[in-house]
Amino acid sequence: MPDTSRPDQTPDRSVLLDHVSIRFGNFTAVDNANLKINSGEFFSFLGPSGCGKTTLLRCISGFSEPTEGKVLIGGKDMAGVGPNKRPTALIFQHLALFPLMSVADNIAFPLEVRGVSKKERRKRADELLEMIALPGIGDKKVSELSGGQKQRVAIARALAVEPDILLLDEPLSALDLKLRQHMRTELRAIQKQVGVTFIYITHDQGEALTMSDRVAVMSKGVIEQVGEPDRIYNRPRSAFVASFVGENNALQGVIKVQSGETAALDTPMGTFEARVGGGRKYKAGDKALLFVRPEQLVPGAGDNAFEATLTRQEFEGATNHVFAKAGDSELRVSMVNAGLAGSLPAAGETLSLGFAPMNATILPVADMASDT
Amino acid sequence: MKQLKLAYDTMLAKHGMGAALFVAIAVTLWVVVFITLPQLSMLDYSFRFNLPADQIGTEADHYTLDQYRSFFFNNDGSVNTLDLMILLRTIVAAVIVTLIDVLICYPIAYILAHGAKGVAARLMVIGLIIPYWINEILRAFAFRVLFGATGVVNTVGMQIGLWDVPVDFIRADVALYFGLSYAYILLMIFPMYNAIEALDHTQVEAARDMGAPLWRVHWRVVLPIAKPGIVSGATMVFMLTAGALAAPQILGGPSSLWFTQVIYQWFNESSNWPRGSAYAVVLLFTCISFVLLTMRVFKVSVGEIGK
Amino acid sequence: MNRNTLFGGAYAVAFFSFLFGPLVIMVITAFNSSKFPRVVPWECFTTGWFGELFGNQRLMDGLLNSVIIGAGVVALAVPIGLAGALALSELPSKLRATLYTVLILPILIPGVVLGISTIVLWGQISRGFGAGGLYNGYFLTIVGQITFISAYAMLVFIARLQRFDATQTEAALDLGATPGQAFRKILLPFMAPAIGSAAFITLLASFENYNTTVFTVLSESTFTTALASKVRHGTDPSLSALAVIIITITLVGALTNEAYQRRKEAEMGGRASRSPLYANPVTRALTHPGVVFAILVGIIAVVSFAGSRHDSSMCEAAVLQEKLDRQEELRAAQKARIEAEQKQQSTLPKSNSAFGGAFGGLGGATPAPESAEPAAPKPESPSAFGGAFGGITAPKLEE
Repeated sequence: MPDTSRPDQTPDRSVLLDHVSIRFGNFTAVDNANLKINSGEFFSFLGPSGCGKTTLLRCISGFSEPTEGKVLIGGKDMAGVGPNKRPTALIFQHLALFPLMSVADNIAFPLEVRGVSKKERRKRADELLEMIALPGIGDKKVSELSGGQKQRVAIARALAVEPDILLLDEPLSALDLKLRQHMRTELRAIQKQVGVTFIYITHDQGEALTMSDRVAVMSKGVIEQVGEPDRIYNRPRSAFVASFVGENNALQGVIKVQSGETAALDTPMGTFEARVGGGRKYKAGDKALLFVRPEQLVPGAGDNAFEATLTRQEFEGATNHVFAKAGDSELRVSMVNAGLAGSLPAAGETLSLGFAPMNATILPVADMASDT
Repeated sequence: MKQLKLAYDTMLAKHGMGAALFVAIAVTLWVVVFITLPQLSMLDYSFRFNLPADQIGTEADHYTLDQYRSFFFNNDGSVNTLDLMILLRTIVAAVIVTLIDVLICYPIAYILAHGAKGVAARLMVIGLIIPYWINEILRAFAFRVLFGATGVVNTVGMQIGLWDVPVDFIRADVALYFGLSYAYILLMIFPMYNAIEALDHTQVEAARDMGAPLWRVHWRVVLPIAKPGIVSGATMVFMLTAGALAAPQILGGPSSLWFTQVIYQWFNESSNWPRGSAYAVVLLFTCISFVLLTMRVFKVSVGEIGK
Repeated sequence: MNRNTLFGGAYAVAFFSFLFGPLVIMVITAFNSSKFPRVVPWECFTTGWFGELFGNQRLMDGLLNSVIIGAGVVALAVPIGLAGALALSELPSKLRATLYTVLILPILIPGVVLGISTIVLWGQISRGFGAGGLYNGYFLTIVGQITFISAYAMLVFIARLQRFDATQTEAALDLGATPGQAFRKILLPFMAPAIGSAAFITLLASFENYNTTVFTVLSESTFTTALASKVRHGTDPSLSALAVIIITITLVGALTNEAYQRRKEAEMGGRASRSPLYANPVTRALTHPGVVFAILVGIIAVVSFAGSRHDSSMCEAAVLQEKLDRQEELRAAQKARIEAEQKQQSTLPKSNSAFGGAFGGLGGATPAPESAEPAAPKPESPSAFGGAFGGITAPKLEE
């Protein structure tokens, strides 16, 4: 909507983080973040709690200044510009709707503080309520709304100022699962409609992967990788990304030889060939980790074949999660349910497994996400 | 100083110039003009002679320890046991009143926090607050009516034959102790209640379930949680009782003075302000030292008070 | 467990009897025509003590002074308390603890000390700068009281501020409000209920205060100091009548507040539509706090009017006559006894001082009988005596 109301060409709604570091005393919350978020993009920062993503968001919205580096919005340096002067709007984790005001007053608040007349405010609030498909609730109290309605009212309020950038701080985390999934679709639709750049903060990889054009994965203040969701999933560039996004099996080993894009790795289970992640160069004898996803481990001989003993399995309808022991590591294997045509293996049975070299990644040894 | 500046800047960024200036000015005024300066002024006064107005500022007006000396010693050099005993008696009586309040308020605070529900709890809270809304003087007056020679207590006592001549409860200070214990009950219950309410009731049930007798549940589970509240309430009750003036004036026996009454006499009856100031300093110093000592013993900080 | 509940209930009943017993007895004495406030012997039901109360010029002057001082204290202590609470919310934790201790200290300092330090300081200032105008009872009492009453207001604001979601202010800033706008439009409206209760508490505390005020008020008097000097110099049931008025106001306030709280709770919880009480238009209107208040005030008005029409003079005259007869009897008996005693010894009879006190009651200005009693309690002089003599003046005063 802000888009269509402007006759001139689409404004620059990009955000540039130029070597941004944020420190509190000795603690580094954000370490040298350097990336560009494109105009009109749905961009997510994904990471566990305490990784610095909220700090970064508050820095973009103007509640804190970077210790080093610059934040540019629409090409303009934002140093010294307060949150009320930036072309950004923030949706807070708990929404921060004003409980003492009606829904319409909430939505019109940004216009009120800019001195817009009462009549005009009401008209604009009704338009925005129309847009979020909640017409006629303007006179209700905030406490009378359901969780999903509050969510949409918060978005309408943020859009009332016609911001160039909408910042969202885990706004869906308080909702139940079903509503959360519904709101993902809705958020994506609203973003496409208004054309505003969305910067979304989350620790939920499902949200990040389903909604975003691009995702930045953060850990301990460092941006580990930026890319499209499928590249993040299939081409992780660090052990953290490989282990934090989706399920993964990690095998420790020593590099035997590298030949261009692939390398051979000696592990206790045998020698495996796999793609080298992040275009790195290894010498023979370097320690490294091999990551292979459960769905890439396929039964039967072939490339990188090995044998494992089935320990237990969890049947989940479409997928059968099989846990197997090979050497001293336990592996997770996802098998698609073949229906009655296939038969489930039993515990203690020996499985022959293998994986394609292009579907596994060799990465340097580093901290992995601890909760997987 | 740097931190104050920082706090002011935060305030400025968060609430704007008007609010920041208002807060800075109001708090400074309060701390400096209303709290600190009067106390310093009183301290200064207590080290001076009681001079007629035309001699103030002349050579005769210099610092002296005279006022404090006369608190500790009589003119003939003997120890001023009269005033010292009054101070001691005031402190001891305040301690007794405080202990009585702790004992009678603890069960109610516990019942309010974990026993009573819904309407009963609301009624109890209202019932606690209403007596507190009634003027302090009238509350003392009520006890005078109750304990007077023809009061209800004497009438009932004589009717059922406990005693045959009216007992003078006023002279025996019984009315005073009752009145003082009554006066600050609310200030004891609410800090206690706030502390006990924080206790998860399932802990009590778990302890009972494991077979602990009720007294042990309270001693081991509830009391440790209630401790800051008890100390906070006890501090307030003690300070207010030791500093009470109205109740001792109305309910006190003719022969037993409260220390505040001595101060009152120096000011309003003898017009000896420096002496009165010195006595006030003595009272303040004694009470605060006593409270700080008690808090040290029970390992509670001043910051807990009023919460 | 059941036994414990029973014990708890019994204890609660005993405890609240202790809290309300003295008040109930005081209320009853307000309607007994006996000159000294007491329940037994019951003489006549009267409403005359209310008239006596309103006729007390010193108390009424004090009431006016208290209103003036109370208004001044509310106007200053509420903003100061708010400033204190806001300052504490922004300070780093170590400094916050220090400032909290400093600001809470005036609550703990004996009121006597606060009163003295206030008059000493402002006495010095007015002497030093020749600003004699500052040295008056109103100004000093306001200044002395706000020193600690601001701390009460502050505690109310701290409690409210703790429930404030700071992201509300951030959201307002983010949406383009200036810090000043966010303060006025978000934080202050949120604090509004607390400002109301702080104003109420500070007014009550100012009104009630004795220890500080008795020093700072100088030659003036407030309602409470006038009350205290009346109690110290002799009591009569007009004080009980005052208690009746205050308790009534308190109860009306408490009930109205309860109605208001319940309604708000029901509306906030979305229960309003489900509760039959709020669904029915008649009961909904009846439970409105304003209506509850109006009904209570109406009842009180009717009762007061009926009470003011009540004439107890017939009954009192009868009691008086009875007393005079009895007094005659006693006097005769005493005379006989004195004569008997005089035969044995020539000293004055012991009961003389008690008599003096009793007669003193006639004048009204001198200490009333009961206040003299503790000084000279004599078993031989039944205090019914003092009451009997005092009673003589009562009908005259009511005219």
